[in-house]
Amino acid sequence: MIRSRALAAALPGFALVLSVTVLADAADKKVIRLWQTETEPQTLAVLNQTAAEYEKTHPDVSIKIEGLAWGDLEKKLTAALAAGAPPDATHGQPITCVSFAAKGLLRPVDDLADSIPKDNLVDAFRNLCRWDGRTYGVGHSPASSVFVYRKDLLEQKGLKVPRTWGELVQVADALREVKDGQVVRWGLTMTGQPLFINIAVGELLKTNGGRLFDAEGRPTLTERPVIELLDFYKQLNRVLPPGWTGHGYLDTFANLANGKAAMLYQAYGRGVGYIEKYAPKEIADPDHFAVADKMVGPSGKTPAAQLDCEPWMVFKDAKGGNEAVDFLRFFFRDESYIPYLHSVPIHLLPIKKSTYRNPRYADNATIRKWRSWVDMQEKYFRNDWIKPVLVTDWDDMTKPYLLEVMGSGILVDMVLDSVKGMPSAEAAARAQKRVEELLASSGYLKK
Amino acid sequence: MRRRLPGAVLGVLWILPALVLIVGLILYPVAYAIWLSFFDKHSFFPAERWVGLGNYARIAGDAEFWDSLWKGVVYAAATTGLQLVLGVAAALVLHQAFRGRTAIRALVLFPYMIPTIVAVIVWRWLLNETYGVVDDLLLRFRLVREPIVWLGVDHMMTSLIAVSVWQFTPFVVVSVLARLQTIPLELYEAARVDGASAWARFRHITLPQLRAVLFVVVLLRSIWMFTKFDTVWLWGEGAGAGREIRTLPIYAYMRTFTYYQAGFGAALAVIMFLMLMAATLVYFRLFWGEEEAA
Repeated sequence: MIRSRALAAALPGFALVLSVTVLADAADKKVIRLWQTETEPQTLAVLNQTAAEYEKTHPDVSIKIEGLAWGDLEKKLTAALAAGAPPDATHGQPITCVSFAAKGLLRPVDDLADSIPKDNLVDAFRNLCRWDGRTYGVGHSPASSVFVYRKDLLEQKGLKVPRTWGELVQVADALREVKDGQVVRWGLTMTGQPLFINIAVGELLKTNGGRLFDAEGRPTLTERPVIELLDFYKQLNRVLPPGWTGHGYLDTFANLANGKAAMLYQAYGRGVGYIEKYAPKEIADPDHFAVADKMVGPSGKTPAAQLDCEPWMVFKDAKGGNEAVDFLRFFFRDESYIPYLHSVPIHLLPIKKSTYRNPRYADNATIRKWRSWVDMQEKYFRNDWIKPVLVTDWDDMTKPYLLEVMGSGILVDMVLDSVKGMPSAEAAARAQKRVEELLASSGYLKK
Repeated sequence: MRRRLPGAVLGVLWILPALVLIVGLILYPVAYAIWLSFFDKHSFFPAERWVGLGNYARIAGDAEFWDSLWKGVVYAAATTGLQLVLGVAAALVLHQAFRGRTAIRALVLFPYMIPTIVAVIVWRWLLNETYGVVDDLLLRFRLVREPIVWLGVDHMMTSLIAVSVWQFTPFVVVSVLARLQTIPLELYEAARVDGASAWARFRHITLPQLRAVLFVVVLLRSIWMFTKFDTVWLWGEGAGAGREIRTLPIYAYMRTFTYYQAGFGAALAVIMFLMLMAATLVYFRLFWGEEEAA
């Protein structure tokens, strides 16, 4: 009884000492906050392990890594900036990086970029975020969007893999399956998430030989390739599930994996995880879920896809900017980098050629099994068929206002106007006027 | 010898904390928003340029503003009206004596108590046209031939209104029920003696007695629904079809945080504030006018 009383009396004191010690310890350390877009638990575990290893040799630094949903990142970054509390370093879209660099919000990261010799960088990612001759972002890992189709279903129906926009609609139509008056499988699935509509607009426009802006930076939404794109969306709307405008990015992966859809236009390597988890075991392989080139539009010549490669950026006013860069150098060492890439193997591809050559990287069962998916993405990198969201030409990366255009949702509204029945030319003209007004009111375009 | 503070000084000191809070948390933000609305101001840069009434002139010619205003009015009017009708009806039922009444009264509060994010996630899942229970039941009972796409462009507003009514009606129920319990029973007994029907008793006793509480409920609910942000934002978040429910608060947020035009966003917020002030004044005037006439 006496012992338990003594113990009860000692407990608060012990708790107080412990909390003071912990607080004192935390106060001694410089906390470096990093925001990044890989939210899968195994990736976060690898990143936290890397942080723990770094802290062993840097006892005065504490690395805090937070995973944020890709679609929310720009909104959260902006809100954090407005509140004056951004993290020290963060992922962002390449256009976000350029926009922030142009506004003077970022610290140059030439020191980080120089730690990876230029000839060791995969060519397509050398100029991911440059402004005024300086580097402001280094991509963490590149990926390309891919077109995925159920090879077995196409073969059963004697269909060929579509190569043009028109063929895609025809094949999607033919793949739709109806039972007892209900559609049990849709031919095609696409997400209606605003970020992905922005991505699709840029991507489809590239496959149609179009552009979003001219050399003077004026929007070109009333040009023929854009009108054709909106006409194409009207056709897609006929063959997509009726609720596609409300379907999220991950919903479309689920639709494909569980057989609710036969083709996915905007897939990513991450989808492999969904297929392996949710598709019947006997078909969860690349012989059933195959990849092919993206379709070409009526005015286009080559396929095109979106480059998914968020650069690491460091904020100019970050108190721990130098430490963040030092940690990122540590992150890019193969000892840390390969486990990170292997955490989502077909989606996180190396940015360094030397990592590709490293036998440890290739020694991965998932990469071996889904090699065709990796090869397809490498083909896009090699041929320079990939560009960041809303970029149809690398010169667009000198336009600091693409972030505002994406955030405004004007292109999403243009697509939805068209899908809801507005004539394509009218939807395009309306969007053109709104983008002009946005750029003029922000001082980017003279009226 | 201790000197006593004069009563007036003491009084001011007592109300000072409340005054500081009101100035700091209400007057200053409102004044700052009004001030900001006269500037062309980027959302996270200190530089600003005086544009006078320029933002207001741009708003007047902005088709998106009028569209979002219309959507906001439709949303606020529909949700407030439905909450009122359903809330009063539910309160009348819960005012009756029946077994399990206490448990049901507690249960009715449930939608109002759960966090908005939880309500939205659950309802989005229930209304999903591929996996949702609602469409599944409608199909099973052959009430529809094809699933209804609740979260698509055609039904986005309808589904948002339904979920909002589900979420906020308990507020009306509780307010009305509290008032119902204070109406003297003698009034009903006298009416019964006079041979008044149930409808006549409701119309001539219950409704006039509820008048004051309904006044407050309509005022608060319509203001809250017109300025509602979280439910609307979360319902449309991540969906292109979210444009169908782009009400004025959402548009003001977008202008501020995705167009980065803080001045324009502030002007939208000020307009929203002035509209509500005007509507409230008219409403008060009508109510007190009727009171005086009565």
